[in-house]
Amino acid sequence: MSGNLRRGTRLRGETLRFRFDGRDYTGQVGDTAASALLANGVRAMGRSVKYRRLRGVLAAGPEEPNALFTVGTDPCVIPNVYAPQLELTDGLVARSQNRWPSLRYDVASLLQAGGGFFGAGFYYKTFIWPSWHAWEAPIRALAGLGTAPRDANLAPVPHEHSSCDVLVAGGGAAGLAAALAAARGGARVVLVEREPVCGGELEFESGAIDGQAPLEWVRATLAELDRLGARILTATTLVAGNGGEYVAHFEPGGLPGCSTMYKIRPKQIVLALGAVERPIAFVNNDLPGVMLIGAAERFLARYGVRIGKTLVLFANHDRAYAAATRLVAAGMRVRAVVDTRPADAVGAAAASRRAALVAGGTECLAEHAVLAARGGREVRGATIAPLATPSATRNFGCDALLVSGGWGPSVHAGTQEGGTKRYDASLGAFVATEQPAGRANAGGANGILELGAVLADGTAAGRNAARVAGRGSDASAAPTGAGDPAPRLVPFWRSPADRAGEKRQFIDYQNDTTVADLRATLEEGFIDVEHVKRYTALGFGTDQGRIGGLLGAAILAELRGEPLAEVGTSRLRPPYHSVAMRSIAGLRVDENLRITRRTPLYDWHLAHGGVLEPMDLWMRPRYYTQNGPAAYEAGIVEARRVREVGGIVDGSTLGKIEVAGPDAAAFLDTLYLTKASTIKVGRSKYMVNLREDGMVLDDGIVLRLAEDRFLATTSSGHGAHMLSHFEHYRDTEWSGRGVTVTDVTEAWAVIVVAGPTSRTALNAVLGASWAESIDALTHMAFARGLHGGQDLAVLRASFSGELAFELHCRPAIAVGLWESLVAAGLQPYGLEALDILRVEKGYLVSSELNGQTTPADLGMDVMIKLGNPCIGRDLLDRPAFREATRPRLIGVRAVDGRGRFYGGAQLTAADAPNRPCGYVTSSVYSPALGEWVGLALVSRLHAEGAVLTARDPLRIGDCAVRLTSIVHYDASGGRMKS
Amino acid sequence: MNRLTCPFCGPRELREFEFHKTLPEPGSSPYARVYERVARLDESTEHWQHVLGCRAWLRVRRNPSTDAVLETTLLGGGAT
Repeated sequence: MSGNLRRGTRLRGETLRFRFDGRDYTGQVGDTAASALLANGVRAMGRSVKYRRLRGVLAAGPEEPNALFTVGTDPCVIPNVYAPQLELTDGLVARSQNRWPSLRYDVASLLQAGGGFFGAGFYYKTFIWPSWHAWEAPIRALAGLGTAPRDANLAPVPHEHSSCDVLVAGGGAAGLAAALAAARGGARVVLVEREPVCGGELEFESGAIDGQAPLEWVRATLAELDRLGARILTATTLVAGNGGEYVAHFEPGGLPGCSTMYKIRPKQIVLALGAVERPIAFVNNDLPGVMLIGAAERFLARYGVRIGKTLVLFANHDRAYAAATRLVAAGMRVRAVVDTRPADAVGAAAASRRAALVAGGTECLAEHAVLAARGGREVRGATIAPLATPSATRNFGCDALLVSGGWGPSVHAGTQEGGTKRYDASLGAFVATEQPAGRANAGGANGILELGAVLADGTAAGRNAARVAGRGSDASAAPTGAGDPAPRLVPFWRSPADRAGEKRQFIDYQNDTTVADLRATLEEGFIDVEHVKRYTALGFGTDQGRIGGLLGAAILAELRGEPLAEVGTSRLRPPYHSVAMRSIAGLRVDENLRITRRTPLYDWHLAHGGVLEPMDLWMRPRYYTQNGPAAYEAGIVEARRVREVGGIVDGSTLGKIEVAGPDAAAFLDTLYLTKASTIKVGRSKYMVNLREDGMVLDDGIVLRLAEDRFLATTSSGHGAHMLSHFEHYRDTEWSGRGVTVTDVTEAWAVIVVAGPTSRTALNAVLGASWAESIDALTHMAFARGLHGGQDLAVLRASFSGELAFELHCRPAIAVGLWESLVAAGLQPYGLEALDILRVEKGYLVSSELNGQTTPADLGMDVMIKLGNPCIGRDLLDRPAFREATRPRLIGVRAVDGRGRFYGGAQLTAADAPNRPCGYVTSSVYSPALGEWVGLALVSRLHAEGAVLTARDPLRIGDCAVRLTSIVHYDASGGRMKS
Repeated sequence: MNRLTCPFCGPRELREFEFHKTLPEPGSSPYARVYERVARLDESTEHWQHVLGCRAWLRVRRNPSTDAVLETTLLGGGAT
């Protein structure tokens, strides 16, 4: 449509094609999606979340509440992209949000046409039958912003960590002056600017700095900063500060979640984030064509976009006259400047501009207000009246209505972490006051809005930051300049309106919060600004109240009849603007989410059909595919083979902690329920650890390698935790004693050889030199020696109930030993079979060690009776642990020998069918017994032989079960001792 | 507080450390040591481990209301 190329500071001539809501448009290199659409005459760019009101662009930065686009094509889309920041690229595809089937015809918007507006709390109060949950899904489908991509297929976002002397946030006049002063003082400076170019308001403000045009000074300053080694990060937004570390997100092209997150730790930070312009509430102030004055100026200066042919400006300060002058100079007709202040409140500079405007045909009205925007789909006019007599309305025709109610200093980053703010009546806004050490605000963020003062403030902040950071103090001349006059603002928040009009006086555009909502909220008893926020959603959403937060607080104060200073604003929290979850995740995604620990046999398992599953950080084979199509079938095959022939399993994941020193035995005595000091050298013992509260923490075998040296093994899932546990006691209660704790988990691979042929196979593999010592091993004894020139220990111990040995070998020989054992006729088995073998024998699996079971609950009464004063011992005697209904571990089997029951099934007795007396902790199908067997924690009131019902209504239903001994198979233990 | 200073490794990211417990008041009963730990707003003495670093155990005194770390000292260190 635009034949002539527009001219703007950001534009670089060439034409680009793009697509919005299915239609093709052209723009220019340097355009944003918002500016190009405006240049094409497109004003409606979205619908509001709640009422589905058609909305246009209000602002020109990330405070924009309306024009949020979804970029890309399904499934690779990026939702909630700020249109005023989305840089145009050739072939860009974008679409508006919150509309169905199209932006122009939205079905849900008929709701408001038909039934009027839903006030605050409408949903909670209306959709209560049969329950909110019944309504939630369809309502949520209508509400909300963009839809998350199903497959973004984007590269992970790298996080860059760095430090510097002075971090300057904001590249406007204040930030550039601060960066210059700090860099001249010798400081290492990093400057972040959210726009793709520096300059801020200097992009359009009239005036001069050091005798240069403002943008000339910006160029010269950037060149000097470059010479001084400062790092300038544009298109980078400071999103959060935490404990002296600042997070800034590089969003090239305005696309979130696509590029680097900087984590910068400066010695000093200067927050020069400027001030955010706010609207005034009047009826229908959300019509497309209503825009902030500063936004219209930005669209004009940056992109040469004329926002309308005939404009009305509505403001409460002197800057409106400077803006009107520039807009007229750019060829637009300003029909009227509507000023809420008396004529004599206007300063001299603005008054002369006003006179020139009047001479040019602009009507300048003092003590007037815009009561309403007129028009259907976009602005067609404005209703204006004197404040003293609001009924004396006049209608002005216009196609754009520009509004400015003043500026809110951007104190967001400064108050996230404990900085305070105070109300400044001359600004009608809160400004930052006390800042924690290392942090200062400068310029607009400090409430300073005149160019000369902004430069001075920025320079002072930069100099001070460099000095405090231990660098020199710059003595060269600070930049001086003058620009637009002081605003001389008189706070004005909303135009007069009746109760019906208040329903269309929008405060928070994104959340459709109106003056009527605030009034209703107060009437319902929500008074505090934080409560009002949560009841009306004022200040939620991507703009986080930057447009409506202060305005809402001020109108709330008015309705409450209290000063705004006392009402305050809701607390500002990070992040500053929306951050894609992928950016927070960084590189810690997919396989990088956590580290993977691999045993020396990891590759062998993968190469031989092993299906691995995580256990803590380890990956262990659950089963081998050649033994069955899935874990259940393969596990049965593998477990049966162990009992009939034998098998080998990778036990390298066991935690292994070597404890040595003259006090090692006594140290272990305090860590275990039973004494380690009674173990003889060359023997081992099954032992359990307690937590301080007496619950069982872990179990494992402790080997005594020498008088003063032990090897403690822990369960695979608890290895890391148990190591910390040992180290903690070494460094606290046992500090200064003769004991060392060394993690040797990965120094030893463990191969468990189990089954009736295990001894024969072992002798075949290890050879004659080992035969005698292996034959001599009694249960829980071990032998040490060399195999292939490497250390090897063979421990006779069993968790399968079969004759079994644990080979603790060096990783270098693990694969060779393993393959020799396979060659000797032993097949590997996985965790599924391991669990079957354990449950058949009544050995604890892992769900029994759930942090709620005492040793007595697990049948370890004999260990307790030994009376070793260990950690947790003194809390074992609490009365509740001796109650008759206390659960105790017991075996469980189907009454008919055929039924199934799963771990997690609740157990009930016939006399209390709805009150469980226990639950199944583990269950397996036992190939040795041909039926399901399990372990359960059941009230001590129910003894062996009792018949209960295992209830599992969500999976397999009920099963009648009988309580049994926990040992289901080979109760005499004859197989293990053979 | 997003860093702790390890006596061996210097200032390190908090993610390298693992919180263990807030220390009970001296002289507490065994029951109180486990169940009656007091969360104080002004000062908290805690045990942390530099678990993804040198594995040193640390006593950390900090002010939970300001997030300021007041003191970090090494636990143990007496054993050889």
